Amino acid sequence: MGIAAGLLLAAAPVIVAALALSGGGESAQSSGFLDTGFGPAVLRSLKVAAGVWFVAVLVGLPAGLFPALYSIPLRRTLLGLVALPLLVPSFLWAVGLSMLRMALGLPADNILGGFSGTVLAFSATAVPLVTLATYVAGRRITQGEADAARLAGGERHLIFCVARSVFPMAVVAGLLGSILTLSDPGPGQILRFGGAASHILVSFAAQYDFALATRQSLSLAVIVLVLAVPAAIWLSPRMASGLLARQTKSVALSERSTLAWIGLVLLAGIIGMTSVLPLAGLLQPLGNGVPVVRALVTVGRTLGDTVLLASIAGVVGTGLGFSLALCAGRRRRWQIVLLGGALVLFALPPALSSLGAIHLAAIAPPTLDSLTRGQFTVGTIEALRLFPLGAVLAMRAFGTGSPDWTAAAAVHGVPLGKYFLRVLVPWVLPTAGITVVLIALLATADVTTALLLSPPGGGSLPLAIFTIMANAPEALVGALCLLYVGGAGILLAGVSGILRRQERKRP
Amino acid sequence: MTTLIQVNQVAKDFGTVPVFQDISFEVCPGRHLALLGPSGCGKSTLLRLVTGLDVPSAGDIRIEGELASSAKKILIEPHERKIGMVFQELALWPNLSALDNVLLGMARTSQPHRERRTTAREVLKICRLDGLENRVPAALSVGQQQRVALARALALRPKLLLLDEPFTGLDLTLKAEIFKEIRRLARDFDLTLLLVTHDPLEARGLTSEALVLEKGGCCEQGNLEDLLANPVSATLRAFVANLSRAPET
Repeated sequence: MGIAAGLLLAAAPVIVAALALSGGGESAQSSGFLDTGFGPAVLRSLKVAAGVWFVAVLVGLPAGLFPALYSIPLRRTLLGLVALPLLVPSFLWAVGLSMLRMALGLPADNILGGFSGTVLAFSATAVPLVTLATYVAGRRITQGEADAARLAGGERHLIFCVARSVFPMAVVAGLLGSILTLSDPGPGQILRFGGAASHILVSFAAQYDFALATRQSLSLAVIVLVLAVPAAIWLSPRMASGLLARQTKSVALSERSTLAWIGLVLLAGIIGMTSVLPLAGLLQPLGNGVPVVRALVTVGRTLGDTVLLASIAGVVGTGLGFSLALCAGRRRRWQIVLLGGALVLFALPPALSSLGAIHLAAIAPPTLDSLTRGQFTVGTIEALRLFPLGAVLAMRAFGTGSPDWTAAAAVHGVPLGKYFLRVLVPWVLPTAGITVVLIALLATADVTTALLLSPPGGGSLPLAIFTIMANAPEALVGALCLLYVGGAGILLAGVSGILRRQERKRP
Repeated sequence: MTTLIQVNQVAKDFGTVPVFQDISFEVCPGRHLALLGPSGCGKSTLLRLVTGLDVPSAGDIRIEGELASSAKKILIEPHERKIGMVFQELALWPNLSALDNVLLGMARTSQPHRERRTTAREVLKICRLDGLENRVPAALSVGQQQRVALARALALRPKLLLLDEPFTGLDLTLKAEIFKEIRRLARDFDLTLLLVTHDPLEARGLTSEALVLEKGGCCEQGNLEDLLANPVSATLRAFVANLSRAPET
């Protein structure tokens, strides 16, 4: 019941958008919306998604597999650096690639622009997603399984067996990464390979056509659902099993130096491709001087809104995710329902929820303006979109505990509130803290929602970068992008520190 | 003498999957009983029914003559059954110290907080954990963790102590040491033990009576030595066969 209510709440803005469209609001163009160039744009988006999926699996699978099996120097640091692009708006990487292309004097249709550039920019998030998913799946291989594979055919056979075992997870993670590209307008718009998401943004933000934008969003949502629903059906039961603690010991990291070096090269290559290359582009215009004052003024102007948006999204998203995970408990059927629903909602275009929120704001009485407009709305809509992350991490945190803790509390008659406060909350608190930070970072990284919902004059730092990048000096854009990446990096290092401390404390 | 536990024709199923049926036995004060059987036969499930953590599908369970569970109903809540329990994986709350584990386990007792603290310290001392009260479970050895679990169960001053295979994975020396400790505590606290195990050797170390669960029902029950002299169940027959194969010293 709680899970159904939670999922319904998260889907509410999407439902409102769909209802608003069915209730009228036809625009001049909306009846023939495919004629506006939206059809070819959808095809371009699908082409990019397919390219991203291919690159992500091809590069991410081996890059995640080797650190799962071999003792790679600086393994944790490298994996942390690999994760960095996941928390940074994808358009920042596109800006970096675009600046790099211009600095190198390459034409717009070069490898750093157009289709290949867009795939490369999106790969900055999809490749780390596959790498980390493969790594996690690879760490689930037990010592016994690894020994059996080694005895049967040596190290090559072990790699083959583990690759085969993690392949489905890598494919699905790649699919998730590529589905997310369908809803992201940034890189395509910057690198001149605009897709469906760019069209939606233009329809609403430039043409002010709510009905057209909603219709386009719903069409995109249908395409996303066709891809996301099978993936969710396949992935949910596996994730539900994977979230439970296991008694078996993970395979010990082998010291084989050649294979460890291969892993190191792969990880370093990914960091180079996804982070160093765009960062080099962002650094390039700073060679002629850093506009420190202007950058700091922009940061100062947007800091309040950024922190407010991030805090609301982090706290609400984490609260919703943890509450739903608590409702699901250890009942496998409910865990699968929650995971499936969460994955599908996560994959839906963020523009759809935003358009639903805009419709709600339009019909709500003016007294509710403080709730229906401004950063509170942006944060809440982001929280409703990103709560799946909270749900997954919470299920994992609850799953690592023993079911006998509750049984012991029942035998001893420990009151529920006391058990909750003394045992359960301290157990999941570090995970909850990490979840707040991750959701906050991902919420600020999404410019679509902020662009559609932020009131004039307001908005987060990424939104400010996105809106000024066409007209502002390159050095200012580069400096602002670097400041954001630096901030995200510091927060990521903090999360990594908490994780390490938590690992040491675990019994 | 009042019977501590009376299990009458109890059955349990999970949906369409039957676990066992028609199980009946009694536990009288001072007569320690072992529930024996192969893995997956439902020993731990039966123990959960006795504690009230799970409901029987049929039959009833009485605690000191009072109806505690009947078919699909819990009539006496687990914490009102005056039962102590040591879980298979000990179930110590990981973020709490040994003392806090015992104290939180006493949350429902009517003692004032200061007295409760004194009792908890006393029980920990009896379990030879003095000086280790402020350590969290992860900072204790396996044997010490076993003792904390015992102390937490004993702090409630139960008449019946349920042990759900808590000795799995322990080496023989440690096991022998803990058996000795439990026998001493059973004597000092006037406790009756109900032990769940798949190992007749463990049962022999702690109990005098046994009930063997096999193939979804009770295969045999009675005095453990008598059962071993004339084994009917596969579990005891295998055990006796292994014993007779052991080289004589």
